[in-house]
Amino acid sequence: MSVNEVTWQPKILVFACNWCTYAGADLTGLSRLQYPATVRILRVPCSGRINPQFVLKAFQKGVDAVLVAGCHPGDCHYTTGNYFTRRRFLIMRRLMEYVGLEPERLQARWISAAEAPKFQQVITEISEQIRALGPNRKLRDEEWKI
Amino acid sequence: MEDLTLVLRRTAKEILEKGEAQMVIGWEKGAFWYSSTSAFISKPEDTERLIWDEYCVNNLAKYLLDYRHKEGKVAVFVKGCDSRALNVLLQDKQLKREKILIIGLACPGMKDEVEARKLGRGSSIPLYKKCRECRYPNALNYDFFIGEDKVIKEIPAQDDFSEVQALESLSPDEKYNKFVANYERCLRCYACRNICPACNCRECIFDRTASGWSSKANNVSENMFFALTRALHVAGRCVGCGECERACPVNIPIMLLNKKIIQDINALFGEYEAGTDVTAKLPLGGFEFTDPEEFM
Repeated sequence: MSVNEVTWQPKILVFACNWCTYAGADLTGLSRLQYPATVRILRVPCSGRINPQFVLKAFQKGVDAVLVAGCHPGDCHYTTGNYFTRRRFLIMRRLMEYVGLEPERLQARWISAAEAPKFQQVITEISEQIRALGPNRKLRDEEWKI
Repeated sequence: MEDLTLVLRRTAKEILEKGEAQMVIGWEKGAFWYSSTSAFISKPEDTERLIWDEYCVNNLAKYLLDYRHKEGKVAVFVKGCDSRALNVLLQDKQLKREKILIIGLACPGMKDEVEARKLGRGSSIPLYKKCRECRYPNALNYDFFIGEDKVIKEIPAQDDFSEVQALESLSPDEKYNKFVANYERCLRCYACRNICPACNCRECIFDRTASGWSSKANNVSENMFFALTRALHVAGRCVGCGECERACPVNIPIMLLNKKIIQDINALFGEYEAGTDVTAKLPLGGFEFTDPEEFM
């Protein structure tokens, strides 16, 4: 499948933790706050569940940017899950930049269940950044090549 | 090193005769003058095959995994880098310390096999790059030590990250093109994984194509997926022995990824040298409340 340059829209994958960010995204909708339809939200039990392989696979399968989001430090439903995520993604972001991925394409945010405006703002912001950057051609699988 | 060979043989013979271990893992002369290969000795009379020369580059620590469920002890000879590898295996709880007998060695640095083949016998053969940069030539954790326990080569004060830093300063596209150029030629033979002491998962996702994570297809995307997954998997546990690069049949500079991670771990979570301390906590196996905050 190829992607048409003219009709291209950013495709952003959000890994949202079940307890904070997912509920935050839900509240965004409930509060009728509009955010771009460029995101796909994937619910995970905890941000600590997000294996770096998930992110790599997403880039392979044609995602333009990945957002890793979870509870603020100290708020984790499982007490410490997000602290592990923080260490893991500090390393992973640097490694992805090191192999040539633009830093905007892999981002991480803490978004709580009450932060609906923040969710709206973050998604809008990333969406704009990716629109400016254009489709991601790096790490892509042959069948998703543009 | 000839006289040490004799000490090595004598020690191995004693161990086997006394029954302190069922087997001794060491090195013997390989097919060529510039190669030494691993030897698995279980009879006292076979210890005559053992040698210790400047081509004993193979890391023997990982072989212990093959014998971890056998009865009795296994004795193994370790250089500095092998000793760090063994420590990582102990930290990962892959081995029981009481089931292995470690004989430490002081390593003068190993000579480059590839250069030796090119230059021929009798010429002066350079050391491996990893040996020139080596900061731990002596075994760190051992039951016996053979040779004099002293610094036998000049030791650099710090790890050399100049290549990593040179690459970091390039633009994203330049970096990506370099990365592609390296991994385009990856055959996915998994020699790097098989030789790596930090790659000790009992079941590897790259062996299970049915899981859908990785296919057998050999293309750049899959190769990069493999490279990055492996680099992140050994993050914080890579001892920098450089065996992956040596085993690579297409000479991919694999250590460029591993060194980048080592450098970042040092900068972000404090200096950490994998395998130098068996009791140390793994950097990615824990956290601090004061870790740098980039999530915002």
